[in-house]
Amino acid sequence: MANNDVGLSSSSDVKNRKHLMSELELRPTNEALVPANYVVRRKLGAVFTHAVLIAGSVVFLFPLIWMISTSLKPLGQTMRMPPEWIPDPVMWANYAKAVNYVPFLHYAQNTLIIAILATLGTVVSSSIVAYGFSRIEWKGRDKVFLILLATMMIPFPVTMVPMYSVFRELHWIGTFRPLWVPAWLGASAFSVFLLRQFFLTIPRDFSDAACIDGCTEFGTLWRVILPLSRPALAVVALFHFLYCWNDFMGPLIYLIDQKNFTLALGLQFFQSMQGGTPWNLLMAASTLVVAPIVVLFFFAQKTFIEGITMSGLKG
Amino acid sequence: MTPRERRNLRNGLIFIAPWIIGFLIFVAYPLVASFFYSLCDYSVLRPPVYIGGLNYQEMAQDPVFWKSLGNTVYFTVLFLPLSTLVAIALALLLNTGVRGMAIYRTIFFLPSLTPLVALGILWMWMLNGEYGVINHVLNTLLKPLGVQAPAWLQSITWSKPAIVLMSLWGVGHAMVIYLAALQDIPVQLYEAAELDGARAWSKIRHITLPLLSPAIFFNVTMGIITAMQVFALPYVISSGEGGPARSTMFYSMYLYHTAFRYLRMGYACAMAWFLFIVIITLTLIFHRISRRHLHYGQ
Amino acid sequence: MLPMSRFIATIGGHKPPISLALLASVGVLICFSACDFLIPEPQDEYVNGRLRVTYWEKWTGVEGQAIRNVVDRFNASQDRIFVDLITTSQIDRKTLVAIAGGEPPDIVGLWNQAIPPYAEKGALMPLRPFMEKAGMSESDFIDVFIVMNKYKGELYGLPTTPATCSLHWNKKLFREAGLDPERPPRTLAELDEMAQKLTKYDANGNIVQLGFSPAEPNWWPYAWSAWFGGRLWDGHNITFDTPENLATLQWIKSYADRYGVDRLRRFRSGASGQFASPQNPFFTGKIAMILQGVWMANFISQYAPDLEWGAAPFPTAVPGLDYVTVAQCDSISIPVGSRHPDEAFEFIQFLYQQKEIEQLNIDQWKFSPLKNVSPDFVARHPNPNIKLFMDLGSSPNAYCLPDLLIFYEYSDEITPAIDKIMNGLDTPEHLVKHVQNQVSKKWARVQQVVEKREAAQQETRP
Repeated sequence: MANNDVGLSSSSDVKNRKHLMSELELRPTNEALVPANYVVRRKLGAVFTHAVLIAGSVVFLFPLIWMISTSLKPLGQTMRMPPEWIPDPVMWANYAKAVNYVPFLHYAQNTLIIAILATLGTVVSSSIVAYGFSRIEWKGRDKVFLILLATMMIPFPVTMVPMYSVFRELHWIGTFRPLWVPAWLGASAFSVFLLRQFFLTIPRDFSDAACIDGCTEFGTLWRVILPLSRPALAVVALFHFLYCWNDFMGPLIYLIDQKNFTLALGLQFFQSMQGGTPWNLLMAASTLVVAPIVVLFFFAQKTFIEGITMSGLKG
Repeated sequence: MTPRERRNLRNGLIFIAPWIIGFLIFVAYPLVASFFYSLCDYSVLRPPVYIGGLNYQEMAQDPVFWKSLGNTVYFTVLFLPLSTLVAIALALLLNTGVRGMAIYRTIFFLPSLTPLVALGILWMWMLNGEYGVINHVLNTLLKPLGVQAPAWLQSITWSKPAIVLMSLWGVGHAMVIYLAALQDIPVQLYEAAELDGARAWSKIRHITLPLLSPAIFFNVTMGIITAMQVFALPYVISSGEGGPARSTMFYSMYLYHTAFRYLRMGYACAMAWFLFIVIITLTLIFHRISRRHLHYGQ
Repeated sequence: MLPMSRFIATIGGHKPPISLALLASVGVLICFSACDFLIPEPQDEYVNGRLRVTYWEKWTGVEGQAIRNVVDRFNASQDRIFVDLITTSQIDRKTLVAIAGGEPPDIVGLWNQAIPPYAEKGALMPLRPFMEKAGMSESDFIDVFIVMNKYKGELYGLPTTPATCSLHWNKKLFREAGLDPERPPRTLAELDEMAQKLTKYDANGNIVQLGFSPAEPNWWPYAWSAWFGGRLWDGHNITFDTPENLATLQWIKSYADRYGVDRLRRFRSGASGQFASPQNPFFTGKIAMILQGVWMANFISQYAPDLEWGAAPFPTAVPGLDYVTVAQCDSISIPVGSRHPDEAFEFIQFLYQQKEIEQLNIDQWKFSPLKNVSPDFVARHPNPNIKLFMDLGSSPNAYCLPDLLIFYEYSDEITPAIDKIMNGLDTPEHLVKHVQNQVSKKWARVQQVVEKREAAQQETRP
């Protein structure tokens, strides 16, 4: 049994890693599981992998299939035990009813406004702040960065009430502002962290070469770093958008007038007080809330994975 | 300081200025304020009344506080290793370059996108002791052994494991990060290992896992932070009550009750601060332990 | 490699135009202002020339429609005030935050248990001055529902939709078990006996039909002592450690012992989450007798219209003690900080016109909180047993916990205690002392703070 001294044998490989990463291409390493030498063993291995993946998919999809199945049932059937998969009759009308039970489209619009403003703010401010933490060498930089990391550990309840008073003093309660303005002030420590890791992997030579005629730091950021960081920026944007879309606590605390509610809050309305929840409508509404995100993720996943790969987040 | 250093300092601070402003308003001030509240009796409806360390004293003797802390730690300790295992296993499988990888990836990531309210209700369904699908399957499997599947959410012993099970559906985030990390491991390493006659498990143990260690470190750290604050799932599952017999009373749920049901925001702030300290401690401990095992691909 | 080197080559030579950066900043500024324009401003004071009065209510669905009808009728009846009814989920939390934030609604619909703590903290306006001006009197209302809305003698809320609970039984199952379907148990001992006759098991020993269990539906765990003549609190002290409460816990334990902890747990599991559905265990005959509220008739008519059922006062363990029930209500209040309290009370006055409040309650399948009842109220009412619930509400033995500041903390201590008994994890003797201990501590602490605050206020007063 060979005792691989990973450290020594791969140092040159790892130097090349950074160049490999910039290929903007994913290269799966299937050698980890499938023996390289025998075609038959390889085929069997592939079948095995597929089988497990399909089983896993079924397990993971199970609740969601249930959700969709329930969303198409008449109310009397939703609770039936033992459970039935195919609704009979199929009530497509549930979706129309769900959309009318609460002002669904209006809530979707509100959610979009907040999510887009917050995501934009996060991308802009996190890039600027991350640049300051990575591309400029200044005294105490890394210690301050540790403080930023520590803020990720603060539980929400600790800051909840005082933050509410701050917003109250500003007369922002009841508006959207508490939900997106902090994003413009680098509130997402996670995004700053991710971008900083990524910026660190860009060799200094690039930025120096591009600014031979001496540009400002901001110029470097704008002209060199940002264009190179597209995948990482995409990851930040996607993660933050996802978070805003499903965020429940924030809107619950800061929004008062129903007209301003978001989708996540809207889902609450399907749960009434004295136990009369229209389960099928709730599931229909939930499906509608999840659907755009699923589509977004499916099409964006390549960029997503690239961004994480290149951010050195995991390394 | 040299003029250059001074200029860099100035530039650095200008760049991180947005964060500094945000930090002062949304972090530093609230932290200080909530610490002050933790030394008061504060019902939110009335100005705070200073009571010194009484809240902390009460906390130390409050059996519900300890129970909720215990429940949360139990959950964290059970959940983190399992979720890491599942996430890495899935990432390894997905990394084999099978066809339809994009679809699989979406599928495994999906549950972490669904609103927790819907997921919670779905699970309450599926875990119904008499008619739920899970027990339907389990009972058929367990029949020959003469054992019956537990009444998950009504059982004091099985309610937390049920919540762990439900939470495992959210490994999508971690899995995606592991997948990205795996794709970064150079093929040459595996080829070299095979030339030395290494088999699958060995390769995983000596190449994959060490090179994954930074990702593992990152995910587990984030995992500690989120697991200790878990709120939504137990809340939906127990209809906000933390039953039966407080077996699903998680720390954040008790905090929520204290603040909004009992109108004791001061006590809630004391609990929040304590949680903060606990999270920092756990993270530091984990950091210390993992230092020996972290490889940054040198 | 390629994209990067290409990129560097293109920018290496020349500076990008300054206008690009300028454009970007202008763009951002436009974005900002446009979005600010999109963000709604806090409420306008006037709607179509009428004064806007906001009313937050928790009801959705049918119940929500019922109050909406009243609001619509009020808005149509005059043109000075417009009541804006806003359905609010998590209403207690939202109200708390809104009042603290200084922007509360003008009218709010809370639960009666919230009234004493909110009143004590100065969050609600006393209603008596408004009532006097409007010619309304506390004696118009059924006593118990006024008592539960008071704190230290002042009235802070009015009951909108009162509720009481009673024994509901399945006549068909009685018949099958050889019991007279028209004769419900009259004492607790009889209930226990009949429950045994009504319980059936399957081959594996699991319960397929349960006569009764205190753990179903588990909505009022704190209240069982009412039927033992016990009291949780005497207005000044916590009185959990009493013989009556001990007897209550022992009675609960007797069910766990007789039917088996495991079997009852399994039964509970099968029943959970099924309340509003055809699979509700009471509707399907899985449980023969149950303690339930005035709304039950509504759900039966929706999900099990063929069910043969009856309602009677839940029997007690004390001879001579009868017509015992748990009384609760939804309350309507005016928060401190309301911008238009007088107009708010105009709506409340409209609401309490006999025909309006009766219609609201008929639509919600409940009864009116007013002592005066229209002659045709009972006849019009969809609940065949409404008279029983009304009588229970007027009974001197209608149980509520007046002036209790720590209702939730108390109840949250009793619920797990009962859970433990039903799971065989602790004894009644120990629990009765444990709960007394824990809740007394909390009460002592609350009293301390209240005293401290009152002392501070005395000092500042001249």
